[in-house]
Amino acid sequence: MLEVVDPGLLMTLQDTGRPGYADLGIPPSGACDAWGLGVANVLADAPPDGVAIEVTLGGGELLVAETCAVSLAGADLGAERDDGSPLRPDAVHRLAAGSRIRFGGPARGARAYLGLAGGIVAAKVLGSAATHVQGGLGGLDGRALRAGDRLVPVRRGDLAMAGRAWPSAIAPHPAAAEGPIRFVPGPDLGSLPAGALEELVAAAWRVAGACDRMGIRLEGRRLPAGTEIVSHPLVPGAIQLPADGQPLLIMVDGPTVGGYPVIGVVPRAELPRLGQLRPGDGVRFAPQGAEEARATWHEQRAGFARAAEALHADAVWHRLADGAGG
Amino acid sequence: MTDPGGRLAAVRIERVGDAALLAVVGDAIDADLNAWVHRAADDVRRGRAGAAALGAPVPGYASLLVPFDPETCSEDAARALLEATLRRTADSPPRAAGQPIEIPVRYGGADGPDLADVAERTGLAQAEVVAAHAGTVYRVFLVGFVPGFPYLGILPEQLALPRRATPRLRVPAGSVAIAGRQTGIYPSATPGGWHLIGRTDAPIWDPRRDPPALLAPGDRVRFVPA
Repeated sequence: MLEVVDPGLLMTLQDTGRPGYADLGIPPSGACDAWGLGVANVLADAPPDGVAIEVTLGGGELLVAETCAVSLAGADLGAERDDGSPLRPDAVHRLAAGSRIRFGGPARGARAYLGLAGGIVAAKVLGSAATHVQGGLGGLDGRALRAGDRLVPVRRGDLAMAGRAWPSAIAPHPAAAEGPIRFVPGPDLGSLPAGALEELVAAAWRVAGACDRMGIRLEGRRLPAGTEIVSHPLVPGAIQLPADGQPLLIMVDGPTVGGYPVIGVVPRAELPRLGQLRPGDGVRFAPQGAEEARATWHEQRAGFARAAEALHADAVWHRLADGAGG
Repeated sequence: MTDPGGRLAAVRIERVGDAALLAVVGDAIDADLNAWVHRAADDVRRGRAGAAALGAPVPGYASLLVPFDPETCSEDAARALLEATLRRTADSPPRAAGQPIEIPVRYGGADGPDLADVAERTGLAQAEVVAAHAGTVYRVFLVGFVPGFPYLGILPEQLALPRRATPRLRVPAGSVAIAGRQTGIYPSATPGGWHLIGRTDAPIWDPRRDPPALLAPGDRVRFVPA
């Protein structure tokens, strides 16, 4: 069991989100980096849609109220014990009651995921425990975590997974990829001046300070803006082009409809990379066909499944070895 | 199969990323067009009861977004299924709603900081802006942007203004605002680029209520100066 001492910039409870309610204006929410969440859950023996803490950019502190196993995945936010020993990402750590976890600051990425044995206990609202602060949904009372909040593992006292590490060699984080972020062009190319797509691809972009769970504003060359359109539905990953010619990436808590033309949409396999962008990061884009994007997603899921299986087989082997030794 | 309203001939199906399609039926804020979109959404929802190849549909003003799961349904199959569904969607008039839902509004002052500016830019007196805004019965075209935000139309042409050049970082909950031929109510504090002309205490969004949103597509709304 953990207790929040200081949530830092932002800590929320997230799972895989609540798709299917956009017609009420409710965005899917859930982890900005679904890959990081998935790794934290697998490491913690939680179900794939289990609940973990999403830690944003660091600066926060947690007190271990009861000895527990804590999985860490996603960004490297400089997590360490209060004795200064590092808590490495993509691994499970056994933490003794009374010790503390501190997040120094981002060494790599923007969002870390912290899981507990079997997941974290949280009530579901509309099928998900994901926190959506704007709508007051999910998490603890529909709000971000604050000092004094207690996070309880689904399986209290289960420490069996301590010491596990994610086999990154089998399935590295998508954000480890170099190169441009892929997007599938459309659907509003008809509302944009000719050449807008080529200019988006040719330009170098920088993540602006306005970068949160709703959206990421990019700065760079001013693109020729299109006309405002009659508002149509949006999905996370949509690249909007407002009148100021600076692209806006829609994130998981973002608006469900919008009136700026959408020049392209970042496909599912690339979304974890967006979740790990932080202000100042450089971004480039490259167009990708939908069929290729789906093939990449399929391979990515297969890689994840292989890594999870390897981890599981390893855990079984260790249990057998421990049993033989005892 | 027939196409009763001839709508299908005008529908364009666009790709949205690698796992959604967008059926675009027009580019106007139009009650008949929007009613067709909501009927099409209902038909997709009914279709999902049998085979959930298509995801939950999301209506826009004149478009319908439909997610699909490429692991179980190819894009071509999703496209064919959507087209077949739209072909069955009858071209019906807007749903005959009951009495308009009345929303009390405090216009101007600190509650509507842009009222004076709107009056100046439209060449109307503030009282005339209020009379025109409150003198129209609106239809909920869609709910979106943030949870429970109703997009209402059609705003009288004399009040139509483009969005503010620079959006506000924080619009207070309950703000009643206008932009283009639309009016809306901010259910919660959020950034926003519309012109704020008043404020209501009506509970537009309450996550503890079922349904949490006060207004649903097709509802009629009248603003009443408080």
